[in-house]
Amino acid sequence: MRSYKFMRAALTAASALILLLASQGAAQAVMDCFQCHERAAFQKKVKHQPVAAGQCSDCHSPHVARHDGLLQQGVMALCYSCHTEAQAKHRQGFMHQPVRTGECLSCHDPHASDYQGLLSKRSSDACFSCHSDLPKKYKYTHTPYGKGECASCHQSHQSPYPNLLTKEPEALCLGCHPLQTVRQKHANYPAELGNCSSCHSPHGSNRPALVRNVLHDPYAAGCKDCHAAKGAPVTVDTCLGCHPQVSEQMASSHNHLVRYGENSCIACHSPHAGDKARLLKGKERHVCGTCHEATFQRSETAEFKHTAHEACSDCHAPHGSNHPAMAKAPINTVCVACHVTHEQFTHPIGEKVFDPRTGQMMTCASCHTSKGTDHRNHLKFAGTRDLCVQCHRDH
Amino acid sequence: MKKLHSIPARRLLLATILALLPATALAQAPWQWQMSLKIETAGNAMYMPAAVAFDRESERYYAVDAGRNRLVSFTRDGEMLKAFSADDRLKAPFDLVRLDDGRLWVVEKGRNSLTRIDIGAREVKPHILRDGSRQVFPDRIAQEGGRLHVLDRASGQVLRLAADLNVEQRFGSPDTAGGLADFVIADGSVWGLEARAKKVFRFRSDGSIAQTIQLGEQVDFPVSLAVGDSGLYVLDRHQNSVFAFSEDGRFRYRFLGPGHARGQLHFPRQIRFDPWGRLCVVDEGNGRVEIYTR
Repeated sequence: MRSYKFMRAALTAASALILLLASQGAAQAVMDCFQCHERAAFQKKVKHQPVAAGQCSDCHSPHVARHDGLLQQGVMALCYSCHTEAQAKHRQGFMHQPVRTGECLSCHDPHASDYQGLLSKRSSDACFSCHSDLPKKYKYTHTPYGKGECASCHQSHQSPYPNLLTKEPEALCLGCHPLQTVRQKHANYPAELGNCSSCHSPHGSNRPALVRNVLHDPYAAGCKDCHAAKGAPVTVDTCLGCHPQVSEQMASSHNHLVRYGENSCIACHSPHAGDKARLLKGKERHVCGTCHEATFQRSETAEFKHTAHEACSDCHAPHGSNHPAMAKAPINTVCVACHVTHEQFTHPIGEKVFDPRTGQMMTCASCHTSKGTDHRNHLKFAGTRDLCVQCHRDH
Repeated sequence: MKKLHSIPARRLLLATILALLPATALAQAPWQWQMSLKIETAGNAMYMPAAVAFDRESERYYAVDAGRNRLVSFTRDGEMLKAFSADDRLKAPFDLVRLDDGRLWVVEKGRNSLTRIDIGAREVKPHILRDGSRQVFPDRIAQEGGRLHVLDRASGQVLRLAADLNVEQRFGSPDTAGGLADFVIADGSVWGLEARAKKVFRFRSDGSIAQTIQLGEQVDFPVSLAVGDSGLYVLDRHQNSVFAFSEDGRFRYRFLGPGHARGQLHFPRQIRFDPWGRLCVVDEGNGRVEIYTR
């Protein structure tokens, strides 16, 4: 019994000694880091908690590491190892592209910052550093946009609403623009009020009242060309009546004629005004992503991805097509349009060469995939052996 | 216990585990490939088949070869019989049903018509459908007791047609944002797949909803469904997989994957049960219909 007590006391003393040595070691580690790394760079208004506590080794390995910056894990895994609640939340709804691909550092400084949320720049500057195609000012600029208050309408990580909006689009607008005022300004509106962004740009435009720059001809002429009576639905027949070429494209085995309220055309197009000639409701990444988000996610998180993966209409016919994957021409034609020289040296493809697995014509897509892959050159299998033996089994 | 530490005992344990693993996987996905409906002649293979239909009486399959504007018939054993193009008059055929009297009703996307074909009389008659003031854009078609049901792409509703092709009943999802992408008639009910909300509805004959099944997040881009004794099957075009659910919507297993070899799919388009309980997957990108048995 005495020996047991002695053992317990000895173990307690040894544990205390180890803890003491470890804490001294940690203090030593901090001191050692700042011998080389300038301390001032970590002394800003907002400090990341491990930095403030001097716990550099929470994130960094002081000697060797598999990851850039001597990080113990990849950036996304490392951040989520502490921000566990954020990880669960960030996987829901619409995600901001850097969140989806784990590029936390594209907006945040991991050590210290002069801005809230450890943003590496003033919030709107951080936004514009990627969204560089947006002008900072328009002839007529929406007030919050002009002030750089992106967060008054958009979430920065994820949102249940498209375009990372903080609320349902109409509710968001009505939050600042009272319904009564809106009604007064739209006295002769031929339909139920709503869908504000169908006419107005939430950022700015060259027209008063932020009406978007490019007007649909019937809209410019008035409402009655399309709206027969107040409340009467404008159906797809009305659109196709004026756009026979689209009607022709829709008469394909694959088409995008899908239900979207009363009129499938307005799933993608604004019937009133837009920022560009096609009157799309946004960039293709967002318009197409409304239904095909998972495809973008697969591509964006793949090891190898096709460079033009956001310009869907470069390869696909958005209204309809009689080619696989709604390609705008036979697959080989689509690929060769950019990959001009490949036709000269490729494995035999074309109408006289058939895939032994299926009897189908050999195309670029027999070996390559454009929507993201783990293999170089967008191959479906490793190009060293695995790909070839799919067909050349005897080899 | 000691014996387990001996090398032969460990090898025996490992061998037992390895032997049991495939059996477990088999129990998860009990479907076995049986045959492919395809045309073997080089240069004449089906191109982008869009649908498969059946003739229980004469034990035939019909594949709709959308890319080559023809219908191809096969025996129950998968032997190709005929390719029929209605004297090259078909334009982007997409789906078909065969009525008991032998007439075919074909959805032709190329003319946006529901086309009646009487092969014996060599008659091909397209019909442009209307639902009230609006044009119907036929997509999928099925029949029950001789009454045609057509999925209208534009409204996302299944329309039950009277003998004069007027709409007599509508079956649709209550969500106005998305429409039905596919439907089947099973056990006397219309079952509809809502792709965007990833839901399956079972409708009563008056168009009201009797059951709603929410598919899980594991499904990405559902395009077609089949309903059979063993439950509900959903075809995911982008994952190239079939997902099996119980009739109350509980996910059971998935099978098949992307590729071009047997047991692999490339942009599959439709899934259906044939009259003999076999599961047929229209493998559009690989130009074939794959048939699986339990």
